[in-house]
Amino acid sequence: MKDRRWIALCAIGLVVLAMLNLPDAASRRVKGAVRDGISPLQAGLRGGVRELREIVRYVRGLGDLALENRALSEEIVYLRGEMRMAQELARDNQMLRDQLGFARRFPNKLVSCEVIGRDSTGWWQTVRLDKGAAAGVAEGRAVLTTDGLIGRTVAVSGRTADVLLLADPACKVAVRLKRSGEFGVAEGTGVKPGEAPTVRMDYVLKTADVQPGDEVVTSGLGGLFPKGLPVGRVAEVVLDASGLYQTARIELAADLGKLEYAFVAATEKDLAAARAESVPADVVLDAETGFLEGEGP
Amino acid sequence: MKLLILLFWLLLGGTLQAALPAWRYMGQPAFPILLGVVLYAALNKKARYFVAAAILAGLVEDALSLAPLGYSSCSLLAAGTLAVLLRKEFFADRATTTSWVGALCAATATGTLALLLRSKGFVALTGRDMLWRMAGSAVLAAVLVPLLFALMRGLERRLGTWEDRA
Repeated sequence: MKDRRWIALCAIGLVVLAMLNLPDAASRRVKGAVRDGISPLQAGLRGGVRELREIVRYVRGLGDLALENRALSEEIVYLRGEMRMAQELARDNQMLRDQLGFARRFPNKLVSCEVIGRDSTGWWQTVRLDKGAAAGVAEGRAVLTTDGLIGRTVAVSGRTADVLLLADPACKVAVRLKRSGEFGVAEGTGVKPGEAPTVRMDYVLKTADVQPGDEVVTSGLGGLFPKGLPVGRVAEVVLDASGLYQTARIELAADLGKLEYAFVAATEKDLAAARAESVPADVVLDAETGFLEGEGP
Repeated sequence: MKLLILLFWLLLGGTLQAALPAWRYMGQPAFPILLGVVLYAALNKKARYFVAAAILAGLVEDALSLAPLGYSSCSLLAAGTLAVLLRKEFFADRATTTSWVGALCAATATGTLALLLRSKGFVALTGRDMLWRMAGSAVLAAVLVPLLFALMRGLERRLGTWEDRA
């Protein structure tokens, strides 16, 4: 009896040791398989919650529907105008880039994804997207919403991708102040109870022109994030203890607490790799026109 | 408890745990649903079910987070072993005792996982942060584990697998 217990204990120990020492590639495959297996459940649960929320919203907002409809119609007209202008600008931009011989830094495709989960342990600020490598999502790509940058992809399986959010202390972004052109690195400060997630821009020179309200965008340095993506606005500027540098607290443009949809900035290479395994065509948006791939304005 | 039911609870637990945002207070711990499933197996079932539950729950938890594979299994095995040691000392069906044991085991699991993650540099935590988070997960488990136990027991009675008790 005692022998059997020892054998069982040794077997358990071996299983755990094997799991801990799995080669990186094998570990990724196992994690990816589990994530892919669970993703339909997560998507289903998310869909159910959304339906429920819609019903509650519908019941609550019956009276506001007409007003909302009018506001949306106005917004469509406005956005169409904006889009036409953006197309013109993109064309001019393209021409200038070609002339100057710049490589295109901004990826021209956005993969539309739905947020289906969060980090199960709570140790990291992450969300899970319902699209993975099969849809053209790769590791280390910028993830954004219509409001601005939210983070980067860190773990990608066939059908899911984990996004490390800007609020996580492990997420660092090279940024620039749009007004004064000052450069810096923004890093997450975690989430504090009752406060919106913020990021901090450290080691800004004492003489640098930084003011509350300044718009912060990605600088494109480091090559990880495309240039010019909105990150947020400076909320507060303080001198650090040494008195040599300033630290800016940045309020994020996107609301990380209410993420439902996100876009992954995919490169042509990512999409080409995915096409080999058949990309769902309805999820790829053209960043220049905002329309589904293959459709026009 | 048949293995299939165990798998059902693990998948459901993992899905729910990943869907619920972490509690914003006391170090932002996640809702310990998978831990509850492991504790249920540890307190009510044979050892082999508990071990299978701990390893599989750890696999699911690690797959749904950025933690390396095996870390959560270690922490859940530690917490479950504590529950097994305490098993004979209390009446498992009483909500208050279940609540206390759940809290103690949740603190153990969180502490073990925090030590593992910190030792390899995956998270930057001070001792105070760790203790605060352990307390947070204990509070969550104290509330959640008795509810989860009642739910799992209810399902077992309906399915007629209650006689599997060790």
